[in-house]
Amino acid sequence: MKDETVYLDNSSSTKMDERVLEAMRPYLFEKYAVASSEFGYSLGIKAKEGLEDARSTIADKIGADAEEIIFTSCGTEASNLALKGVAKKLSEDKDHIITSKIEDFPVLKSAQSLEKEGYEVTFLEVDDEGFVDVDELEKAIDEKTGLVSIQHGNQEIGTVQDIEEISKICDQNDVLFHTDATHTFTKLPIDVSKTPIDLLTLSAHTIHGPKGIGALYVKDGTDLEKLMDGGFQENNRRAGVENIPGAVGFAKAVELVTEEENERLKEMRDALIKKIKDEIPDTTLNGPAKDRTPQNANITFHYVEGESITLHMDMRGFSVSTGSACFSKSLEASHVILGIGGDHERAHGSVRFSFGRYNTMEDVDRTVEAISEVVERLREISPLGKDK
Amino acid sequence: MGEKTINVQGETCPVPLVETRKAVRKAKPGDILIIKGDHPPSKEEIPMAVEALDLELISIEEDGKRWVIKIKIPEEG
Repeated sequence: MKDETVYLDNSSSTKMDERVLEAMRPYLFEKYAVASSEFGYSLGIKAKEGLEDARSTIADKIGADAEEIIFTSCGTEASNLALKGVAKKLSEDKDHIITSKIEDFPVLKSAQSLEKEGYEVTFLEVDDEGFVDVDELEKAIDEKTGLVSIQHGNQEIGTVQDIEEISKICDQNDVLFHTDATHTFTKLPIDVSKTPIDLLTLSAHTIHGPKGIGALYVKDGTDLEKLMDGGFQENNRRAGVENIPGAVGFAKAVELVTEEENERLKEMRDALIKKIKDEIPDTTLNGPAKDRTPQNANITFHYVEGESITLHMDMRGFSVSTGSACFSKSLEASHVILGIGGDHERAHGSVRFSFGRYNTMEDVDRTVEAISEVVERLREISPLGKDK
Repeated sequence: MGEKTINVQGETCPVPLVETRKAVRKAKPGDILIIKGDHPPSKEEIPMAVEALDLELISIEEDGKRWVIKIKIPEEG
């Protein structure tokens, strides 16, 4: 494999910023004690200050109060806590949950798990660009609906849902609203002081922060059951010793994101989409042209398998991912591409390019050059390509 | 220098290429890899990978549907 990699899988995870590591370092080697109250010893008090400062930074970014942020081990745990934690507190006459068919696995699998436990779950269809129809949502809400969970930005095709409208509908119907903002946090504006969001999933490792830390925003007054038994950490809502270096790193990662950087992501995304459309025949953009997360491009290269593309791109020094079956740990074709009405051929030939802080416009040119060659050669040898 | 045989007969895309890449990653300079398969597109894809990875393609032998591809991992320097 080539030594130098053009990494275009930032939606899976990002390279941690070295400044994040520097911010974390004191909490690993100096202020390493567990967080403690003013009744404890100084090292624990200092650790606690770091934790609470981090909480405030993250809360400020979304217009929340610090007390409304619960640190978790990752976004997956945050979404599990949101759905299952709320569901356990729903009364029997409010045990209907609504989500969409293209949610990321933490929400999708939590919803399926609750369905097995006896909750009624509606999985909303989406249109061919991945959008939830807000009228359909409104129709699906009935007097038994207790919770709606619709993601902000899609993990694979980048569709950005109208969570302002969705949250208002939920609010008007007295239904709790959760959104997974893993792929939009710091990239698109989210303000819970203006938008009636009750629960919101956040993650650090997708924004050049550390792995092993996420957070759930829980609006003050929202009833939530703890998922793990243990101590009284996180205001008795999430047991376990707090990952203070992780929380501090998370906050630093939030501080480092700039609007200029987000604009640059969009420019790279748009340049890549345009160049591929102009230079490679028989391609389909998956997801919308507008209302798309800044970092995401997802394209199907017809007549070739996504795994073959990712393997040959890797050998040329490029990291991209695919919605094809073998690539995924589930060994199933992307539920998102299938969910927007795509067939298995479209899912198998889909490739996701996701940009991050360390990508450049030169990466875009090099990527398009490499993928043009790979796709052309694979089509020459593909039985599907020969028949087209 | 060693020789390793990778038998991917009966396997289809992308498994032969995945197994080849795995063997290349573990191989040492000067090693010979012998890949035995019968999936036609993989016979074309493996030489493509050999080229991209700057490896040496020693031979491609065919016997009916079956094929054998020999690759050499370049010596260092």
